[in-house]
Amino acid sequence: MVGIMNPVSREKLASLSNSVKFATDLGPKLELCRQLKRDLLEEDAAALSEFLSHIFDLYSDPSGPVRKLATEIIGEIGVKHLEFVPEIAPFLITVLEDATPAVARQSISCSIDLFRHTLEKTAIQGLHSSELDSDLESSWSWMLKLKEKIYSIAFQPGSGGVKLVALKFVEAVILLYTPNPNGSSEPPPNEGTPIEFNISWLHGRHPFLNVGDLSIEASQRLVLLLDQLRFPTVKSLTTSVIVVLINSLSAIAKKRPAYYGRILPVLLSLDPPSFVIKEVHVYGANNALKNALLSCLQCSHPSAAPWRDRLLGALKDMEAGGLAEVALNQVHKVNGSVEDEKDHSSVIKEEKPMTKACDAAGSNVGRKRSGTEDSSGLAETGDVSGKRVRSTPSVSEESTKELNRNTSMSQGDISSAQSTTRKVDVDTGPVQQLVAMFGALVAQGEKAVGSLGILISSISADLLAEVVMANMRNLPPTHSHTDADDELLEDMCIVGSNTQAKYPPSFLVDVVSLSSTFPPIAALLNSQQSVPNEIVKTEVGEEVDVMAGPNSTVAYAGMAHEAENALLPGMEKIDVPTPSDIQDVGNLESGIPGLDSSFHYDGLSDAQAASSLVSTDLEDTSQEQGTSFGGKSPLHVLPSISIERSEELSPKAAVNDSSGVVSSTATSVVSSHPFVLPKMSAPVVNLSDDQKDDVQKLAYIRIIEAYKQIAVAGGSQVRSSLLAYLGVELPSELDLHKLLRDHILSDYINHEGHELTLRVLYRLFGEAEEESDFFSCTTAASAYETFLLAVAETLRDTFPPSDKSLSKLLGEAPCLPKSVLNLLECLCSPGISEKAEESQSGDRVTQGLSTVWSLILLRPPIRDVCLKIALQSAVHHLEEVRMKAIRLVANKLYPLPSISQQIEDFAREMLLSAVNIDAAEITDAEGLIIESHKQDSELEKPSHEHQSVSSTGKDISAIFHQSETSQSGSSPSVPEAQRCMSLYFALCTKKHSLFGQIFIVYSSASKAVKQAIHRHIPILVRTMGLSSDLLEIISDPPTGSENLLMQVLQTLTEGTVPSAELIFTIKKLFDSKLKDVEILVPVLPFLPGDEVLLLFPYLVNLPLDKFQAALTRLLQGSSQSGPVLSPAEVLIAIHGIDPERDGIPLKKVTDACNACFEQRHIFTQQILAKVLNQLVEQIPLPLLFMRTVLQAIGAFPGLVGFIMEILSRLVSKQIWKYPKLWVGFLKCAFLTKPQSFSVLLQLPPPQLENALNRTAALKAPLVAHASQENIRTSLPRSVLAVLGLSPESQPSSQVQTSQAHTGDTNNSEKDAVAEISKESSGAS
Amino acid sequence: MEAHSLLKKQGFDVSSYGTGTHVKLPGPSLREPNVYEFGTPYKHMFDDLRRKDPDLYKRNGILPMLKRNLSVKLAPQRWQDNAADGYFDIVFTFEEKVFDMVLEDLHNRDQVLLKSVLVINLEVKDNHEEAAVGARLALDLCEQIEAVESWEDSVDDILISFENKHRRKLLYSISFY
Repeated sequence: MVGIMNPVSREKLASLSNSVKFATDLGPKLELCRQLKRDLLEEDAAALSEFLSHIFDLYSDPSGPVRKLATEIIGEIGVKHLEFVPEIAPFLITVLEDATPAVARQSISCSIDLFRHTLEKTAIQGLHSSELDSDLESSWSWMLKLKEKIYSIAFQPGSGGVKLVALKFVEAVILLYTPNPNGSSEPPPNEGTPIEFNISWLHGRHPFLNVGDLSIEASQRLVLLLDQLRFPTVKSLTTSVIVVLINSLSAIAKKRPAYYGRILPVLLSLDPPSFVIKEVHVYGANNALKNALLSCLQCSHPSAAPWRDRLLGALKDMEAGGLAEVALNQVHKVNGSVEDEKDHSSVIKEEKPMTKACDAAGSNVGRKRSGTEDSSGLAETGDVSGKRVRSTPSVSEESTKELNRNTSMSQGDISSAQSTTRKVDVDTGPVQQLVAMFGALVAQGEKAVGSLGILISSISADLLAEVVMANMRNLPPTHSHTDADDELLEDMCIVGSNTQAKYPPSFLVDVVSLSSTFPPIAALLNSQQSVPNEIVKTEVGEEVDVMAGPNSTVAYAGMAHEAENALLPGMEKIDVPTPSDIQDVGNLESGIPGLDSSFHYDGLSDAQAASSLVSTDLEDTSQEQGTSFGGKSPLHVLPSISIERSEELSPKAAVNDSSGVVSSTATSVVSSHPFVLPKMSAPVVNLSDDQKDDVQKLAYIRIIEAYKQIAVAGGSQVRSSLLAYLGVELPSELDLHKLLRDHILSDYINHEGHELTLRVLYRLFGEAEEESDFFSCTTAASAYETFLLAVAETLRDTFPPSDKSLSKLLGEAPCLPKSVLNLLECLCSPGISEKAEESQSGDRVTQGLSTVWSLILLRPPIRDVCLKIALQSAVHHLEEVRMKAIRLVANKLYPLPSISQQIEDFAREMLLSAVNIDAAEITDAEGLIIESHKQDSELEKPSHEHQSVSSTGKDISAIFHQSETSQSGSSPSVPEAQRCMSLYFALCTKKHSLFGQIFIVYSSASKAVKQAIHRHIPILVRTMGLSSDLLEIISDPPTGSENLLMQVLQTLTEGTVPSAELIFTIKKLFDSKLKDVEILVPVLPFLPGDEVLLLFPYLVNLPLDKFQAALTRLLQGSSQSGPVLSPAEVLIAIHGIDPERDGIPLKKVTDACNACFEQRHIFTQQILAKVLNQLVEQIPLPLLFMRTVLQAIGAFPGLVGFIMEILSRLVSKQIWKYPKLWVGFLKCAFLTKPQSFSVLLQLPPPQLENALNRTAALKAPLVAHASQENIRTSLPRSVLAVLGLSPESQPSSQVQTSQAHTGDTNNSEKDAVAEISKESSGAS
Repeated sequence: MEAHSLLKKQGFDVSSYGTGTHVKLPGPSLREPNVYEFGTPYKHMFDDLRRKDPDLYKRNGILPMLKRNLSVKLAPQRWQDNAADGYFDIVFTFEEKVFDMVLEDLHNRDQVLLKSVLVINLEVKDNHEEAAVGARLALDLCEQIEAVESWEDSVDDILISFENKHRRKLLYSISFY
């Protein structure tokens, strides 16, 4: 098959290419082209050689896409069959000039592939033979021409899409021309293996490819690339070109770390804002630069190491431009664990200090110390840190010098300090400003200690914590020396702020010198070729997850000792450590101890007695470091480790050594002020995510444990801020919230639980409100809710109800989610959700209510919700709960003007609902009575509120109740009615006008409701007292509310003297609207006697029982003024009633009489006699006079004599002229015979006769009486004649006349007698 | 997904990806997010969440969102695993973090095609309302880029005019396949 064109396919191809040529529509044309491409690539070289020209023809097509596709096809053919290169390369060169950018770009894309393959083939062939075939040679030379052409595009000024790809081409060539350090340095044994080409395969054995020349060319091209990014060329570039350049360069730097040193300075000196003209896209370039720097940071090659710190510095600068978060993410991403944002902070925190240190030392390397200042600085350090300083080599002197510079600034150079701090100010934010302020103060030295103290005490603990955290983040330096100073100043600030300025003025100086003691040690370590250091680091690093934090620290300490001892001699001066990596690592370590020392210091000065504190602090910091190990991968073991060394210093020994040192260092820390544990940055250990989690968790637990001791030592204000911050910042998956919560709750009071909880809550709340993204908002919000709820529940369950913690917490938490409000609601209204807790509900309810109260006062936004809770509780079914809530609502909440209307509406609504729901359901009376009894006892409870309740009041109301229940047969909804109405009643006592509503409701209410109302009234009215509002209500009661009115009046008059106004009102009401005299009864005792007498007929007209009650009141009178009427007056008044005139049935009057007679102890014999005496004088005689006389005789027989006198007076008053009385007279005479005979005999003869006629039974005894000698003689003849005792029976005519005279009254007399006898029988 | 849905409707050849390691949806609490593997069908998630707590997930909009997604494609895909999907002309991201991750990933791939790809970040708050706005903006931008022959030559102008028009900051970068 080789070399012979398959005719079928040939024809097919030809026709295909033709149809492509002649196709007119773009779509089908492209499709045909693609098909052509597929077919062509299956052909062999010989066939293609024939066909190539056809394809070149395709390029003449006017449409861009077709040309592009043609170029692509040709490029692919070229890659597959390199022998065509001499033909294809010129073609591609032409295409580069194509008017359509996309086609030109395609040409370059193809060229790259083609170039790579050609180079590869050329190289490999050259390796195997010294002679190359000429074809390949010409191919290569063509490729070189192509390359030059593309170079010219890449480096020509101007821009455009083609240039982008051309630049990419340059990048590819540079990469191809330079050895790949990571690639294999030998070519693959057999050619088939797909392996990336590496120029180092050549080993200088190639006939014409010279590795050296190639790399020279590569670096020339690199210089050209870099030059483009240099000022001012860069100004003429578009953003896209810059972006591509930056990306390419960073890719080169990453893949060829040898070029780090050339590329990075250019990248680092790029300042996008200064060169991008179209400002809008500063971001694009900036971002590309940032990503480039980050990817460089990621590089693990040793030659990258020295740059790491400057990279970090630069990245930190970019953060100021608002990219902080992203940079953090990036750093984190670099380290390989993407999911977890929270990690970043810890990672970056650890990394930043190292940069700072590096800069401090690195930029100063080689400088000579400057005379006096430095020596004084050394003297200071010598003072504090003892013998260590003696061996201080000059590497450390650089940092010492800096520190000295700081102190020297305090002497003369304040202005410069200020200028540096101003730089920090630019960093934005109050926190940064504070940091700067601290810096400036510290720079002033001892003078400023006072003001430093003031500053610290004047800012809040939270802000202080922010400052500390911000400062940790900002530790890394900028590039200049002054900046480094600046950073150190900030470092000092941390110390100052943490310790609350408790230490003596000299302390700050101490710290300055202290931190300077570490670089020496670190430097010593480093100068020992940095090899043992590395080994130990890895060893210890691996143990981090197993060992406790301090151990690792101390291990370093041990190492430090060792190294120091080993290197004391001959280490006088190491100005510039030869390998740059050593310098780097050393600096890393010198940085962190400086930071740590301040921590220890903090602990020391804070609690001199609590030695444990130091160790806890130590633990903290080392734990933090431990946690960061996992994230810090970039620091890899240097390649130059020598194996002998590592054996010599076996890890085991190192660890043992370190454990030996533990005690000594620890104790020395406690005892001696200046001696501080040195610590260095940990080595890199890649932990799995789980391990990291564990380490972080353990670390946090330790921190929390440590805080327990801090609490003992005091001064935990600032710390708790930090703790909260940490708890929230660390990844949420670890459930650190729970740990923190447990810590808080384990001893809420001693652990300052409230403050800590609030800090945590505020952090979480801030996170939730940040609106960063949907997911984190939702989760933070739910974390917030969980945290708050858990704390609140625990507070509720563990603390006594009297404790105010819960209330305080809820009052100060940033917001209250619904679940917390629900909790509160359950507290206030037990039984809503769980029944179990009712045993203790009483106090809990009080607790809940007082919390609600304070919330209403403190948190206006949720006032309505809280009010609702309180109101719900105020209509709770349990009397106890209800009363508590009502007291709160009525006494505390109702007076608040903003919510009173709401309360009122609610109460009214409840009142009305009680009236409405209670549709007369009637059940058996039995149950009701029990019910009502129960209520009676319940009724006492609320009364403890109103101390003034008199016992009589209670009795009366109780009686009232009884009567109510017995008469009404009320419904079971009485308690329900009471539940609904209690609140309203309570409000009535506060606002009397509300009372009117009860009157209105009353008329339409059911019995049960009425009963409930009546039960409340006495207390209510007594509490209210008589007010103008009440008077007004009384003056115009709605119809139907009379009973209620009566009770109100009764209550009002009970035990006190009603005011004149009240009496007036009642009288007016009686006169105008309500004609019922009953309402006057309560005030009767207080009315003047004459008025009462006027009212008397009405009183008599009352039902008997009420009359009796009124009678009693009248006779008793008031305590002050005595009886209103005497019993005699009462009787006379009764007799004064004229049934016809007053419209009162006679029966009522007689009943009233009877009622009087029943009370014999009041209406005595004497009183009766007196009354009769007066009555008998009245003209005309009272209608009931004779009846009363008869009753008097019946009641008091002893009065007979007196009655006879009365009778005889009646005779003289011609009693017979009053027919009704006459009948009574006769009856009386009959009853009182024989005493009445003398009176009878006084009657004129006609009347006597009449009498005898009427009462025949009298005649015989009277005659017998008169027949007695002495009497008979005294009687006139006419009388005797009537008696039939006269000898001559003459006066018949007289009898006749008298007969005639009396005859006309006969009938009525009979009537009257009948009546009287009937009545007297009734009365007797 | 909102943008995917919209662009798809407008006839663009579009795919959508996540860049995390898992698909994470808010759960009942912070510690209980709903975590799914990429490739888990939306239908499955929908049913799962509906079974767990229909009220909660309806309220926080997750269920409706999943329902919308159901109609767009089968299951969430992961950007880092999308090599098989071929190359794209433009990549939109809606969060700078994601933008960086995409670039990072593109840089780490073997760049053999040398086909340029424009990566644009349009910062959009992660809530339902903003997503709708962002999707429209993305469509607008796509149409403008589509209108020019070669975006490589005019990307700056397009983006600047877009920024001025919508008062939105864009972030872009160029990478290569």
